[in-house]
Amino acid sequence: MDSPVINARGLCHRYDVEPVLRDIDLTINAGEIFGFLGHNGAGKTTAINILTTLLEPTSGVAQVCGFDVVTERREVTRCIGYLPAEVRMYGHMTAAENLEFFAKLSGVADARTAVAETLDFLGCSDLAAKRVGAFSTGMRQRIGIAQAIVHRPRVLFLDEPTAGLDPLGVRQLRDTILRLNRDLGMTVFMNTHLLGEVAKVCTTIGVLNHGELIYKDSIAETTRRFPDEASLEDIYLRMESAPT
Amino acid sequence: MIATIARQQVLMLRRQGTFVAMLATLLVMTALAGVLGWSSHHTIVRAYDEAVKLLASTGKPAPPNPFTLKPTLSLLSNMVVYIPLIGALLALIVGHLGIVDDEAGGVGRLIFTRQVSRTGYVLGKIASAGAVLFVVLTASLAVSAISLVAVNHAIAFAEVGRLVMFYSLSWLYLMVFAVIGMATVLITRRRSIALLSALGAWLVITLAIPQFTSGLRPTQSLNPITDPVSTSQTFFRVTASARPYSIVEQYKQASGRILDTTTPEPVWQTIQRVLPIAGLLLILVLVTARLVQRHDFSRSSTHE
Repeated sequence: MDSPVINARGLCHRYDVEPVLRDIDLTINAGEIFGFLGHNGAGKTTAINILTTLLEPTSGVAQVCGFDVVTERREVTRCIGYLPAEVRMYGHMTAAENLEFFAKLSGVADARTAVAETLDFLGCSDLAAKRVGAFSTGMRQRIGIAQAIVHRPRVLFLDEPTAGLDPLGVRQLRDTILRLNRDLGMTVFMNTHLLGEVAKVCTTIGVLNHGELIYKDSIAETTRRFPDEASLEDIYLRMESAPT
Repeated sequence: MIATIARQQVLMLRRQGTFVAMLATLLVMTALAGVLGWSSHHTIVRAYDEAVKLLASTGKPAPPNPFTLKPTLSLLSNMVVYIPLIGALLALIVGHLGIVDDEAGGVGRLIFTRQVSRTGYVLGKIASAGAVLFVVLTASLAVSAISLVAVNHAIAFAEVGRLVMFYSLSWLYLMVFAVIGMATVLITRRRSIALLSALGAWLVITLAIPQFTSGLRPTQSLNPITDPVSTSQTFFRVTASARPYSIVEQYKQASGRILDTTTPEPVWQTIQRVLPIAGLLLILVLVTARLVQRHDFSRSSTHE
């Protein structure tokens, strides 16, 4: 449970001259559900882009499942699943065809079976034969999660997974994340703004402020450390407003 | 991995209707070329028959049938014009659609968090465009062969071979435009600008460059015929030296030679005409591969 699956040291990134991430040191252990909090433009998505090998850091190192995200990209991609903030897939293809495509790209031997099992696990087998182009935001999100887990990754990266979902969709997503963690043993790294969801789902939180990781601890320790604050929202706002 | 990407892209083109639209357009073009060729043949023969009757009534000897002097495949000479004009446009669209969903649509973010090498990705996309163009041109070849049989009541084995060579050359030529369609998506940041840039490249290659070479002699811009006069003047010598870089002219000349509608030339000279097209395709493939290697797919759609 305590072996680190994500390990970043001195991670920096800049677009043009503007630094987006500044010297991030971060360790996330296997089995954790990590909530990455921060204002818009704090650098959360950039951090996920680096950890999912989409982007190379300007400096510093990051390892996922023990593999370097720059030099051992292929090994990293084998053990991660990724759901971007806005799920885009091939609209003219059915959900099953899209999932089969992504399963094959992940080297899954029996892609068809993996897709059927994944859809069954998520309770959305009824969407298999429908074209993704006609899906609502909630349906797209469910298929998005399916593509992220179809190859049974060890670490799941979710970037603003609740964006655009109605309250029922948010609750279903929360249940799904907990099941993925509990039943499939996935470590979850989640960027989010919804502090209420973080309190209900995450075991650990990190707060990013203008590219700097200003706080990281377990939910239990956080509430113990800030006994005067009524909710996680109050704690978060206090941390955000504190001088860095 | 290459096959997975190629198969998915072919499926997408089929579902989008691009494949069917392209197939229908090219087959209509081929049939039209056949009809125009037949019409030309029919008119010449009728005029000849009338002339023979007139000459016979005045007791003069009849000249030989001019159509017997024309090569059988000249029926399809219009295809040499249709392929660079319409076929190239369709190939641009195939290439553009191959990348645009992944880049502007944001699917690339999902693809490149998988075990996909960027080289494998490019090769898969190029293979898909190649496969689509191959199927479309094979169907066009079949329609050409049927047209020839319908007009001439037979087709020689050598003519089938020439047809195969002509369509192989056309495939090579169209692949240049398919890859241009892909590269422009990676160079530009907006879908509309990408398509406009690709159309700009098509305009330059198909219409602008020939204006400085054979376009100076208008008959050559339409038909693959050899120079009516020798290029003795300095100006024409300069423009003639630019001709190897005009792939549309090289294509027309080489096609004319393959279809036997232009003045015979040594085989090595025809091969020399094909080399610039193959060379440009190779350069474009390498440039596109480099662009994909360097492209930041994380910024394709939403980013913070």
